[in-house]
Formats: sequence, structure tokens, C-alpha cells
Amino acid sequence: MIKTRGLTKRYGALTAVDGLDLDVREGDVYGFLGANGSGKTTTVRMLLGLVLATSGDIEVDGEVMPGAAARVLPRVGALVEGPAAYGHLSGRTNLMLLDASGGGSSRSTRKRRVGEALERVGLSAVGRRPVRAYSLGMRQRLGLAAALLREPRLLVLDEPTNGLDPQGIREIRELLLALNARGTTVFLSSHLLAEVEQLCTRVGVLDRGRLVMQDELATVRAPTGRVVVRTPDADQVAGVIGRGVVHRDSDVVVVDGLDAPTLNAELVKAGLRVSELGPERRTLEQVVLEAAERAGSTGVLR
Amino acid sequence: MTTARRWWIVAIGVLALLAAPLLVHALPVEDSAESATSLAARIQQSHDVPYSGSAESTGTLQLPASTQFGALGDLLGERTRLRTWWRSADDWRVDTVRTTGESDLFHDESGTTRWVYESLTATRTPNVFVRIPDASDLLPPILGRRLLDGARPDELSRLPAERIAGRDALGVRLRPSDQQSSIDRVEVWADPETAVPLRVEVYGDSYGPTDQPGQVAVTTAFSSFSSELPAASITRFEPPPGSTTRFERVLDFASAADAFAPQEPPANLAGLGGRRTSAVGAVAVYGRGPTLLVGVPLWDRAADPIREQLNSTAGMRHTTSGHFVGTGPLGVLLTDEDAFGTSWLLTGTVTPATLERAAAELAASGGFG
Amino acid sequence: MIRVELVKMLRRPRTWVTIAMLNALPTLVAILLAVTDVGPRSGTGPAFLSAVLTDGTLYPLAALAIVLPLFLPVAVAMMAGEAVAGEAQAGTLRYLLVRPVGRTRLLVAKLISIVMFVLLTVVIVAVLGYVVGMLLLGDGDSSGLVSGVSGTSLTGTQIAQRTMMAVAYVTLSMLGVAALALLLSTFTDSALGAALGALAFLIASTLLLTLDAAAALQPYLPTRYWLAFVDLFRDPILWGDLVRGLLLQGVYLVGFLGAGWANFTSKDITS
Repeated sequence: MIKTRGLTKRYGALTAVDGLDLDVREGDVYGFLGANGSGKTTTVRMLLGLVLATSGDIEVDGEVMPGAAARVLPRVGALVEGPAAYGHLSGRTNLMLLDASGGGSSRSTRKRRVGEALERVGLSAVGRRPVRAYSLGMRQRLGLAAALLREPRLLVLDEPTNGLDPQGIREIRELLLALNARGTTVFLSSHLLAEVEQLCTRVGVLDRGRLVMQDELATVRAPTGRVVVRTPDADQVAGVIGRGVVHRDSDVVVVDGLDAPTLNAELVKAGLRVSELGPERRTLEQVVLEAAERAGSTGVLR
Repeated sequence: MTTARRWWIVAIGVLALLAAPLLVHALPVEDSAESATSLAARIQQSHDVPYSGSAESTGTLQLPASTQFGALGDLLGERTRLRTWWRSADDWRVDTVRTTGESDLFHDESGTTRWVYESLTATRTPNVFVRIPDASDLLPPILGRRLLDGARPDELSRLPAERIAGRDALGVRLRPSDQQSSIDRVEVWADPETAVPLRVEVYGDSYGPTDQPGQVAVTTAFSSFSSELPAASITRFEPPPGSTTRFERVLDFASAADAFAPQEPPANLAGLGGRRTSAVGAVAVYGRGPTLLVGVPLWDRAADPIREQLNSTAGMRHTTSGHFVGTGPLGVLLTDEDAFGTSWLLTGTVTPATLERAAAELAASGGFG
Repeated sequence: MIRVELVKMLRRPRTWVTIAMLNALPTLVAILLAVTDVGPRSGTGPAFLSAVLTDGTLYPLAALAIVLPLFLPVAVAMMAGEAVAGEAQAGTLRYLLVRPVGRTRLLVAKLISIVMFVLLTVVIVAVLGYVVGMLLLGDGDSSGLVSGVSGTSLTGTQIAQRTMMAVAYVTLSMLGVAALALLLSTFTDSALGAALGALAFLIASTLLLTLDAAAALQPYLPTRYWLAFVDLFRDPILWGDLVRGLLLQGVYLVGFLGAGWANFTSKDITS
């Protein structure tokens, strides 16, 4: 759905995005992770044709950007760096005007589509109030509604949950998952690990303009083959296991080379207390930090 | 399309737009082999050719500011936009166009109406031979013909043709041979078919200490010109609603002096021949072509304000015969009052010495030929 | 897109506030003239103002002449300066562009909406000028004829036609300022900066017009032929300056809009 090759953007001597090879597949919920200032927004803007790449190719929904912007963008909904609307007009009017601005949308269904979009994001009750009276969260929802107006095949969302309360975040997450279930590909950029972890099927990590990792979240988080034992008797557990221990804390022992049932049986036989025992899965945070370290960097995430 | 290419397209487009008028200007101008004498003669005969157009004149002469001289100071010292419709010498109209108004001259056989929009007034006066110059005298055809009047073949030479008001105008230059003249040269370009002058430039020998000789004193040129006969309705004036119409017998102090002063000027003055073609009058007019000497006899009530004005004019000199002011090729000499209370206002495009000599001759004769 | 821009322009409170302010001055002048009966000295003050004391029919033109030198260009510069920079400032520009709206199209739509704003403003000034002139200054001669500048009598129909031409001419006279402010608007995200830049250019032009040393430049200054609408009321109409004025505005339009296009279409939108 999105493919870039060697995508690079330089501002004078500063390289904001460096040789990016993104690969977002149809049906993905793609989490584009990176700290503030890592080049996420610049990348999103390049995908949408707002910023022109210094070098490299972009392909969105099978067509070359920004050359085919007029054909591609009607199939794309976007939220870029916060929502924006005309404050003196109502949310509904803003959406009507935005929809009327460009091609690729039917005039006869406009009113209905605007109503539906507002309903989806939970704004139908306030759609007639001028936007300047909206809270930050309401504006964010309005921005999402604008992105959803034409039932896009691809949603490009830059920090979509900014300014939303937990309840709102959950609603948006459910909305995105529902859309994805109906076939919409979602490209979501964020600096929040948790958000990406909860929502995404694929993840790419950007560090100072370079893509340091890109993989299926399921693969990333697949069991590592090690077993984690949580126990009040860490010393004894380590003593029983012996050479298989790869890591030891006051109440956690990580064991390699033994599968969980065998390990469990041994510990039971030794009469040791175990509060928890299971296969080791790395957190996204760990994966990201490791990837960043491999790329020679620290502080990918705040 | 790259950024650079976009900017190139814009730059080339703008340059093309700017270059278009220059290219038209640079188109070759068709000249003719016509001799200067023949061209000058044709110009003189063009006085009944009808035409219309817009012209602009620029004067560089700083005349003493005096209400007596009327608009003459503006005409000779400023830029003036003119429009004219000329059906014949007895049926024409000249507009002086100002940004937010205008004053027009409507001329017919029996008189001239002067319309001033700003005050919504029309003033009707009889046609006279002697008057202070007005806007019509700055029209290239009128000024050009007057300057070439009586030109001798040895004074004339041809100038290369130039494009004026879209026409390939033929040029002729006149260098006056009269010793008395303060005019360095006159250049006239005329329409090749009708010989109506389209542009006139007057270069003076200067009096002022800072002025260089051969500087341009007055230029006037058409910016658009048509030799078709203008509609009769255009040159006819009918007072519009809300306007005031006045009738005046006397135009200005010069025409008043001409009509009412008792003097009868001599046939020749300061070595220059008389120029009057009309019946007798008290104002003395001499010279040939661009060389002009005019003497206006004034009684004290008319002379005193002018003398006061001259006194407060920068660059005024007292000479043996009176007050003298020079600007470009133009000299103004107001003689001291004689025994009968008469002063002569002597002016024209002659050297200061010529003005002095004229003053002396008039003083000797008392102004009676 | 053009329709959307027009709707946006018409639905913005600022549009109407600006128009109201533009109309306040001619109305005030008319009231003062009617109350005091003291007109400007002949040949001074805005065009036609000395003539309207006797005849209110010409007041639309006097009103135009009052707003033309300063008020109208300031309003145009503000509107055009805001056109792109204002959208950038509000962040709506990026959403328009990903909608997607072609950048060239957006620029042209903005210019058309500004021209429509000028036309609307000028028409309102003229219509209100007519109403105010009739009410406060009276309609002069009972014949319905009015004196033109060249001392000819103009009929009511002629006056109406020529006033419409003057309205069109004044509108087109603003093209140069509008295009310049639009150009600057694509360079900066500050609407005010773009407007002030265009105004600085206008002030420089007005100043140079009063300077004899700048005579060679004067035919190319954007404000040079603004007052040429007076020429429509001479008889016959003096077309020279009107045509030159339109051509000059055309050249400024092509140059400034072209530069704006070259800049805007290849610009990174980072607002």
C-alpha cells in the first residue's frame, strides 16, 4: 500500500529523513514509531506530497507520488500534525467545504457522508457549533472525521490520539480497528509505544531519520524460546537449574535451553515456590531499544 | 517539473512581456529621401489638414510666477497633457487634461470658449491676433509650423526618421542664422503623408550662468495621432447643466494693450523684421521662425505688478533699460517708465543684447513707427 | 474549488467588516459635505468631489476616488496576503492540499476570490455612494443631465454605463496589488507580513509618482494609472491611460502570479 525506496529529505546540511525503505502492506495497521524530531512528520508529509523528497521513490496504493497525487489522494484520508479547521464555521460546514474543495467525491452523497463521518467520531451532537468553541479532543475527532469522509482505502494518521482523554483514545482505537476489519489500511505514526503495541500489526521504527527496524508485531513479540520464572526463591531456583540460567534478578530467573513443562516439573520436584512461569516474550520497548542500539543510537524513545 | 524550470518559465514570460514594446520600438523606421526644404515647405502647407490625437508637452523654463501671465508658467515649465481635434484652422478643440479635471479650448470663426471643469465655467472671448500663449500653441503642428515659418534653405537639414505615435515621422532641423536669436536649434518630425508635425523640440542658447547652451527648452509630441476628420460634434461646445457661462471682451493684458494702447510700433526693431500679419495694433511682433521678439506697451497700472513680481524673482538683473529675467532661451525685459508713463514688456527668444537694443530703439521713437 | 473559495470569502466576518469600514469614509464625507456645504477648492481633493455639491449623481465616483488611493488597496493587500499564508497559519492549507486540491488551482481560486471581493466592495461603495449622494446631496439638474469633465452633458444612462465601466476598471486596477500580496503570501506563513510587503510596494510607488526624478520609472508604477477612471467621464472617452493601466496590471499579474506559482508549486508545506 505504501512503498518507499531510498526516501531522503535534506534541509540544507540537515538530513531529516535518510534512505527510508518503508513497506506497508494492504490490510496492515502499521505503527510508525519514533521520537519527536526523528523525521516521522516529514515522512508523512512526503507520503502525502506536501513535502517534496530530495531523492528516492514513493509509491502509494500502486501509484507514484507525488506525481499521481490527484488520483491517489482521493483514496487516502489523512491527519497530519494535528487537526485544523476554520474556527468561525461549524464542524459540519468545515467538512462540507473540504469535501467540495477537491474532486473524486460525489456531491449528492456529501451531506450524508458528512453526517456519517461526524457520527462515527461522536461529533454529531456538536456538528453545528462553530469550531472555535471545540475542545482540543473535539477538534482531533473532527480531523478524523475529515479523514474518513470518502471511505479511504488508506488512512495516514499522524499522532491521532493527541489531546484525547483515555475514553476518547479507546473509542478511536476501536474505530480504527473496525475500519481495518473492513479493509482499510492504517498507517499510524506515533511516539507512544503503548499505542502502537495495542493497535498495530506491523511496526517500523524511525531513529534520527533512519528506519532501524520494520517487522510484523507478532514476529517481534513471538516467544524467544526462553522461560521466565517468577519466584520468591530466586537463589534456590538458580541453583537447581544451574547452567541454563541466562539472567537473574531478586525474584526473576530467565532460563534458556529448557522448555517450560520440564522446568516446571524440576522446580516442583525440588519443592520450590513459583509464582509465575511462562515463555519469555519481549516487550516492544525492549525490541525497539535493541534495534536502536544495533543502529548505534540511544534514546530512540523519550 | 523542477523548481528551476518553473522559475525559468516565469522569468522568460515576464521578459517577453517587457521586451515586446522594446521590440516594436526597435523595428526599423522607414525614411525618405525628401529634402529638408521640401519637407519644411510641406509642413507649412499642412495647416488645413484635419487631425486628432493626444500629445504631451514638457517645458523646462521657469517663468516668474505672475497672475498676469495666466497659465503660461505651467505651459512652459511643466508637463502638459493635451488632446486635440482639428477640423480646420477655424474649427478646432484643444483639451488640457489633468488627473482629476481639464480645461478645454473650443475655437470657431467667431471666438473661443474656454471650459474649466473644476469650476464648471465656460468663458467666451473673441479671437484676437495678440494674446498670451495658451495650450493650443503647444500642439506640435501649431508650434512646428510657427518655428519653421520663413526658414531659409541654408538653415535647414534633414534628421533621420523616427517612429512617433506609430508613424515613421520625417525629421528636419533648423539652426537659425539670425544673430539676434537665442535658439540653438529646432527639430521637427512630421507625418510622412500629411506633413503635420508630430514632434517638436526646441533647444536654446542659454542665458543663465548654470545652464548649458543647447539644452532642451520645450518638447511637445503626439502619443497618438489620426489624420481623419474629427466629427463636428466634438469641436462644438454646449454649456452643460450646472455650469456658468461668461462673455469677456478682453483676453489678457497683451491683447488689451494691443487693442487699446495708442502706440504704433516701428516696422523693424533691433534689426528684426515685423511679423504681424493682422491689422494694426500696439503690440510689436518681430522676427522670423523660432526667433521672436514681442514688445507690449503697458501703462503703469499694468506694469507695476509685473515689475514688483520681477523684483522678487531670483536671478533678476537691473540693466540700463530696466528689469531683466532670463530662463533658458527666453528673456523678459520690463523697461523703466518713460516720460509718458509707458513701460515696454519686451520678451522673446532673442539674446539679452537684442532686448536691450530693442528697448533703446523704442525709447528713442516713443513706440511710434 | 472557486465556488468553495467564494463561499469561504463570503462567510468570513472579516470580509463584511472590511466592506463596512470601506464604506464608512465616503458616507462620512457625504454627511460633512451636506451639513457644511463646504466643498474642496476647485481642482483639489479627490476627483469629482468638488462637483458633487451641486449634483449627487456623481457621488458614486467621488466615493470611489475617496477609497481608491488607500483604503481599497489596504483591504486588497490584507485579503490577498492572507490567502495562502492565512491557510498555512491555520493549518488548513495542508488539508486542502491532501484533499487533494492542485496547488495551481488553489492559487488561481484564491486570486479569483480576491477579485470577486474587490468587485463586491467596489459595487457596494458605488451603490451606497449613489444612495447617499441622492439622499444627502440631491440630484441637481431636473433634466437628469450631468456635466462631464469635458463640458458635455451626460445622460443618466451614460452616467450609469460609465460608472459601471469605472467599477470594472477600479476592480482590475487592484490586480497588481492582489497578485503581489498573493506572491508574498506563498513565501511566508505570516499573513500580516505579506500584506505589509505589498503595501510597502504601493507606498513606494505612490511616493515615486510625486518625484520628478523618477519620471522614467513612472509609466511602470502600479499606481500610475489608478485615477484614469476619471478619463471615462471625458468626452470622447480618453482610452489611452485606461488601456495602458489595464496592460500594466496585466503584466504585474502575469509576473507576480507566475512567480507565486513557481514558488508555491515547488514549495515544501511544513505549516
